[in-house]
Amino acid sequence: MADVLALIDANNFYASCEQAFEPALIGRPVVVLSNNDGCVVSRSSEARQLGIGMGKPYFQIAGQLASHGVVVRSSNYALYGDMSQRLMSSLEPFVAELEIYSIDEAFARLPRPRHGDLSSWAAELRSRIRHNLGLPIAIGLASSKVLAKLANRIAKGDRRHAGVFDLGREANPDPWLELTPVEEIWGVGRQLGRWCRLRGIANARQLRDMASGELRAKAGVVGLRLQLELQGVSCLPLEQGPSAKRETCVSRSFSRAITSETELRQAVATYVVRAAEKLRRQQQCSGRLTVFARTSPFSPGFYSQAASTALAVASNDTAALLQAALPLVALIYRPHKRFAKAGVLLQELQSQDQLQHHLLAPLPEPEQQRRAALMQSIDGLNRRYGRGTVQWAACGLAPGWMMRREQLSRAATTRLNDLPTAWAR
Amino acid sequence: MPLRRERRCLRLPLAASTVAAGFPSPADDYIDVGIDLNEALIRHPSSTFFLRVSGDSMIEAGIQHGDLLVVDRSLEPRPGLIVVAVLDGAFTLKRLVRHHGRLRLEAANSAYPPLELHQCGDVQIWGVAIHVIHALTRHG
Repeated sequence: MADVLALIDANNFYASCEQAFEPALIGRPVVVLSNNDGCVVSRSSEARQLGIGMGKPYFQIAGQLASHGVVVRSSNYALYGDMSQRLMSSLEPFVAELEIYSIDEAFARLPRPRHGDLSSWAAELRSRIRHNLGLPIAIGLASSKVLAKLANRIAKGDRRHAGVFDLGREANPDPWLELTPVEEIWGVGRQLGRWCRLRGIANARQLRDMASGELRAKAGVVGLRLQLELQGVSCLPLEQGPSAKRETCVSRSFSRAITSETELRQAVATYVVRAAEKLRRQQQCSGRLTVFARTSPFSPGFYSQAASTALAVASNDTAALLQAALPLVALIYRPHKRFAKAGVLLQELQSQDQLQHHLLAPLPEPEQQRRAALMQSIDGLNRRYGRGTVQWAACGLAPGWMMRREQLSRAATTRLNDLPTAWAR
Repeated sequence: MPLRRERRCLRLPLAASTVAAGFPSPADDYIDVGIDLNEALIRHPSSTFFLRVSGDSMIEAGIQHGDLLVVDRSLEPRPGLIVVAVLDGAFTLKRLVRHHGRLRLEAANSAYPPLELHQCGDVQIWGVAIHVIHALTRHG
């Protein structure tokens, strides 16, 4: 029988991770805030039931949250990243192919059994992930990726489906497609959604059945593919294996606006340090570096600027990258501008191995090895004792613009000093 | 967000010969890749977690205050195993025991009374402890 495509994702992933390592939070309403403690990005089912909205700015609803006894957490990316890897590697033995689509969702391909029924497979997978990782997941099954995503939405939307919905087993998929607003279809952006509405196309069933010539004129081949996928014809292949990264970016919003050049330099230096660490972990070197900064797009006099430089020899040495990046800050800085965000983009990435014995190497080989050993020790200390144990002076000490994460939980799965306590009492 | 699992381990070279000065040892060709404690102690990496022990109620089972506990959540809790249970919103370390046909949670220290499972309201077994790592020096 033909293959099935599945979209598997964790429910309320961030909030569920918080509950998994803090048993006191089980059964209690929990929300997780975005970077800088900006707005609500994840809600436990208990918080959802209280009617706490997704994306609500924290400062607006802080009072409401407190009065309901809602537990508030800052985003703990160390924890979520580790749990994501555990989730993905736990899914792998259950499927034939897996495409990791985001931190908490994956597409999968698996053969449909002769009798056609995948409900026991799905129940086993859900209970295994719940048992082994403490994470609730939802599974949507169908014959194309777009329909699998749609089925997943139905699985989560209605308690009666118990987290699993197999559209391929429905004799008539139309009522389910009609339940899905056109904007909620995977691949329909804001613009296409508006265009559909203007033509009276409100749901997935109507989009599937509209004249393809008209859709093609608007959205080209992408639109036609979308329509075929809605008809159950699989056109979008699974993308497997993380391809070698071509660029890496570190950027953050500041907790308050920055106006001084010194502070902007410190922020950029901090991001360079992070980006260089990432590169070394990926065993890559960068040949080009871009620094950018901008003010808030919501205030008058919006300003955004970037500057870029090529490195003489590709490198992942923090000192070399700082040397390239810091002069760029002077080029993009403007006095009296209130900078809200800055970042560093490392481009032209190449494998570290390709670079050894480079004829143009700026340092003699023993010196290069000493530098590499130094970087390794710094990374090791920061991993072991926590980020920032060994710091670069260019980053400044205890800067005031640092991202706000006031309600951060511990890195319970990745740092020895942050392990949960097993009480022997 | 990097999604690839990063493997970190300490490789301790395991050489099978004594040092012979002057000429290369014929055993050099047999140097193994090393012992990976993660590999040796952990069968299910994606469902294995570390916890820090606090308290002395498991002392007779060789688990002391401050020890590092290796917990595998994928294992089925069976009588006789040491488990991490969720009790009153906290991870609690006990031995699961069948006593007169009923399951209960026992400490490994006579100062702590056993907990009959049918008498506690809501007990969840979070995982099964598979190893305890006890440091013998302060910097261990």
